[in-house]
Amino acid sequence: MPKKVIVIGLDGLEPSIVETMLGLGELPNLAKIRQAGSYARLKTTSPAQTPVAWSSFVTGTNPGGHGIFDFISRNPETYQPDIALSHFAPPKNILAQTRVVNRRKGIPLWEPLMKAGVASTVLRCPCTFPPETLHGRMLSGVGVPDMRGSQSKGTFYTQDRAASAQENEQLIYLDSGMDLTTRVLGPRNTRQSPPSDTYSEIGLRVAKPARTLVIQPGGDPATIEVRERAWSEWIRFKFKFSRLQSASGIARFYVRQLEPHLEFYVSAVNFDPAAPIFPVSFPTTYAKELSEKIGLFSTLGMAEEHNGLNNGRLDESAYLQQCELVLRERQRMMQFELDRFTEGFFFMLFDTPDRVQHMLWRFRDPSHPCFDRDLAPEFAPRIEEHYAQCDDLLSCVLDKVDEHTLLIVLSDHGFGTFRRAFHTNTWLWQSGLLKLKDNRKPNEDLGEGFAAIDWSRTYAYAVGLGGIYLNFKGRESAGILEEGSDAERVRRAIQTGLADLPDPATQRAAIRSVSRREDIYSGAFVENSPDLLVNFNPGFRVSWHTALGGFSHTLLDDNIRRWSGDHIVDPEAVPGILFTNHAFSLARHNHAQIIDLAPTILNYLGVSVPQSMEGNSLF
Amino acid sequence: MKICVLGLDCAAPEIVFGDERLVNLRRLMDAGMYGRLESVVPPITVPAWMCMSTSQDPGSLGVYGFRNRTDYSYDKLGFANSASIKAIAIWDQLAREGKKSIIIGVPPNYPPRRINGISIGCFLTPDTVKNDFTYPPGIKAKLNELVGEYPVDVKNFRTDRKHWLKEEIFRMSEKQWKVVRWLLSEQEWDYFHFVDIGLDRMHHGFWNYFDEKHVQFEPGNPYQNAIPEYYLWLDEQIGSVLELLDNETIVLVISDHGAQRLDGGFAINEWLIREGLLVVNEYPKTLTPFDKLNVNWAKTRIWSEGGYYARVFFNVQGREPQGVIAAADYQSFQDEMKARFERLADDKGQPLKSLVFKPKEIYRNVRNVAPDLIVHFGGLYWRSIGTVGHSRIHVQENDTGPDGCNHAQFGMFVLAAPNCPINGEYEGARLLDIAPTLLDLAGYEIPESMQGRSLVAGLEKRSAGGQSQDGNAEKTIHDRLSGLGYI
Repeated sequence: MPKKVIVIGLDGLEPSIVETMLGLGELPNLAKIRQAGSYARLKTTSPAQTPVAWSSFVTGTNPGGHGIFDFISRNPETYQPDIALSHFAPPKNILAQTRVVNRRKGIPLWEPLMKAGVASTVLRCPCTFPPETLHGRMLSGVGVPDMRGSQSKGTFYTQDRAASAQENEQLIYLDSGMDLTTRVLGPRNTRQSPPSDTYSEIGLRVAKPARTLVIQPGGDPATIEVRERAWSEWIRFKFKFSRLQSASGIARFYVRQLEPHLEFYVSAVNFDPAAPIFPVSFPTTYAKELSEKIGLFSTLGMAEEHNGLNNGRLDESAYLQQCELVLRERQRMMQFELDRFTEGFFFMLFDTPDRVQHMLWRFRDPSHPCFDRDLAPEFAPRIEEHYAQCDDLLSCVLDKVDEHTLLIVLSDHGFGTFRRAFHTNTWLWQSGLLKLKDNRKPNEDLGEGFAAIDWSRTYAYAVGLGGIYLNFKGRESAGILEEGSDAERVRRAIQTGLADLPDPATQRAAIRSVSRREDIYSGAFVENSPDLLVNFNPGFRVSWHTALGGFSHTLLDDNIRRWSGDHIVDPEAVPGILFTNHAFSLARHNHAQIIDLAPTILNYLGVSVPQSMEGNSLF
Repeated sequence: MKICVLGLDCAAPEIVFGDERLVNLRRLMDAGMYGRLESVVPPITVPAWMCMSTSQDPGSLGVYGFRNRTDYSYDKLGFANSASIKAIAIWDQLAREGKKSIIIGVPPNYPPRRINGISIGCFLTPDTVKNDFTYPPGIKAKLNELVGEYPVDVKNFRTDRKHWLKEEIFRMSEKQWKVVRWLLSEQEWDYFHFVDIGLDRMHHGFWNYFDEKHVQFEPGNPYQNAIPEYYLWLDEQIGSVLELLDNETIVLVISDHGAQRLDGGFAINEWLIREGLLVVNEYPKTLTPFDKLNVNWAKTRIWSEGGYYARVFFNVQGREPQGVIAAADYQSFQDEMKARFERLADDKGQPLKSLVFKPKEIYRNVRNVAPDLIVHFGGLYWRSIGTVGHSRIHVQENDTGPDGCNHAQFGMFVLAAPNCPINGEYEGARLLDIAPTLLDLAGYEIPESMQGRSLVAGLEKRSAGGQSQDGNAEKTIHDRLSGLGYI
């Protein structure tokens, strides 16, 4: 009988919450799995980030073996941050297409499976964009951008001219009245000089008695009616680049209010699965076939509209409604594929638990700077509710499990609160390791991207979600630091200076330790990683400014965004969860690690494990 | 400037310009000029590709189809091969100027032309295992290394085994395009010309499954999408080739003729027999090809060879061995037959509106043994059936095997060049204009022998400017990161 391995990823599921709920009998399916097999906390990667951890899951190596160290990388030529997951190369010539390259390297487990003739179905795995060739089917996950080229950018439409655009969104003013036209923004046309936005014209009519907004999207469907405070179905838009070329995208509308003035929110415009501008599946036609079977679905990597909530364009209810829509699509996708899954490797990731926790954590943490006493009763329980929903999803999976099936349910990391934000570059300046031009002082005004840094006197800089890079001569374009005793001095200064650094506000240590890359990474791609990795204590994280190469006048301040939960802290503090329906004994290894899963899966399917995989089979 | 020609045999402008999913072609169309391309008479692969390459009409090349009369006897039909056409082609002009060319499958190219560069045999190659079908000969081993046995055609493409046919065509083309990419990136060239023959085979094999107006069309049939699927795949191949080129290359995607449905077959020799113009000693009991007929030559005035069009031959005194028509009567006889062919009707009595051509009127020169008339039955909506024994004139089945389509007079072209002064849809382009246009844009001399004219003659060529790129790289990066949530 052919063997099967089914892996269900529940991104960000936190062990302490799962263990409590198991104890209360609130996760019956997970309890069943644990009963049949084992449960353990799962050691995650350094750093504990989704693309890093899942890449280690698929390659069975530490990040040095696959090259993904953070969502954000930096270009040593320019010191600029960029998305680390894939690389968009401008077309070789004006007649060719823009190329996308997946920056996750290493040998993913579907490769040895393919060589052995074993089929794989890999759905929504992070860092699989562009999709890879395998024996089976793949649908890309986190890493797929929206039609504007960003990780997720929605648009807020308002008749209120006093409104202004916030971070990570577009704002479009509407004309007054009840019958109007406006535009949905599509990709930028960079083949024109200067580049311009493509767009799709839409007609709108406010129907006050019915409390609806009637939209004429100029395509398919011809008219759509959206109720106030509800999400629309997916609407297709056509964006014309020229008379001959156009691209198709899909988006949902959320009508915030019809009066006193009209306001609505349009989600990020996703690639149309039926005609994506870059392939999001293998085979290329698979996304289209899937959409014909289960309906349109989000192709965007970060499919949940957290920016809308962060910017207050959506409230928590609207956000959770949309997360529910994403979850249900994902569930339909899983059900459809499980129905025809007969052998080999099956992988499905549900991202929503991670996104829900990011946005709702403040309601369960009374010490959070954004704890809201009035909303807490309603929203604090929603995280546990979501966990229960995830458990419920597993019912249909359990139906597919027989004596020839290995079932694995895991999360890539845990979760915790994010109360205090650390401005690493400000600390580096305070420590004399970073200098600004013209004797300037660190400040939010300096903006992002290090425009104000004096590289000729800077030894280290921070960019990304926890990394510090040393300004090495010969490596960085304006590097000054020599390897050897100088670099050693700088490393030690940072390690000792940051370890146990107290938060002036609470005297709690913000940072546990700082790791050197040499101590935690090995493999072909270590060169691409930061030199040092800051391991924050739970409750702390790099600031929003730091991630993009910015500063603040203080060292630490409150995190006042609605994005209030996070997990980019010392990985020891945020292990994930691991449930398997076959018992494993930890006596052999002390703990289960995320890099153990790929060898475990290959071993179970009788396929030899490549040398590159560092973990050990759990059985 | 380098020139890269991607020939799609039989590509139909209606499909190429009408399918939005062909994104690479659309990008080319936007960047350059494109339109319908009037082919030659007859619009057939041989000699059309060489008409394109030499910018000479079939009469001047002395080749009127795959098989031509080699003399005025009744049965010496010979297959055209690479030696049949010696006129100066684009690659010959380039060689004169010290430049190299690569030609792949440009018919007729067996035996492979010895050009200044690399030459790979076309579908007329009898056996790619036994024959030396490449020049230089050493290239053959490299091809075998790359793709195994190199296929030049799908033999027996007129078959009922449609599933097999589709797979074989795709398999052949995959190998050919792989070789194309290898040659483009690994070998030296200033002129590159590949002809994909798979598309022609797809059309002939599946047009009746695709075209709703075809008499045999059945809605919901399993091969309805086979042709559009092939075009989509070709577009991807074109995209993969565009990746390999630089900004200083002229790119041309072109077909030698188009495609259109077949409404039926006109059994011309049957009709000639009925009209007493062709006399047989014994009317055959079974379907018999013309060359097996027992013809009474002493009484026969006309006979015809079948195919997509009809080549009509007169039995002329002093010219043919047992000629019947007096030389003095030739002209009036030709006029009379032209009129009679034009008046032909279909099986329902409706005028076929056939097109009839006199070689002297349509060709600048008439060389070798030309047909006395060329007939496009029903404007090529009907093919010409040469076999006898049908007992009727209008026939549905093809005598050489199932074939869903005929050729159409208009093919297509898309031309993108950094210095091309014309942009957008262009009307009135002819197949013979292409070679002069390419040579003109690339800065080569145009041989006197070329009959067409450069479409950009007299226009100021734009300077090959730099491409418009998004100069604001920082903003682009910032846009890429935005919305991540973690930042």
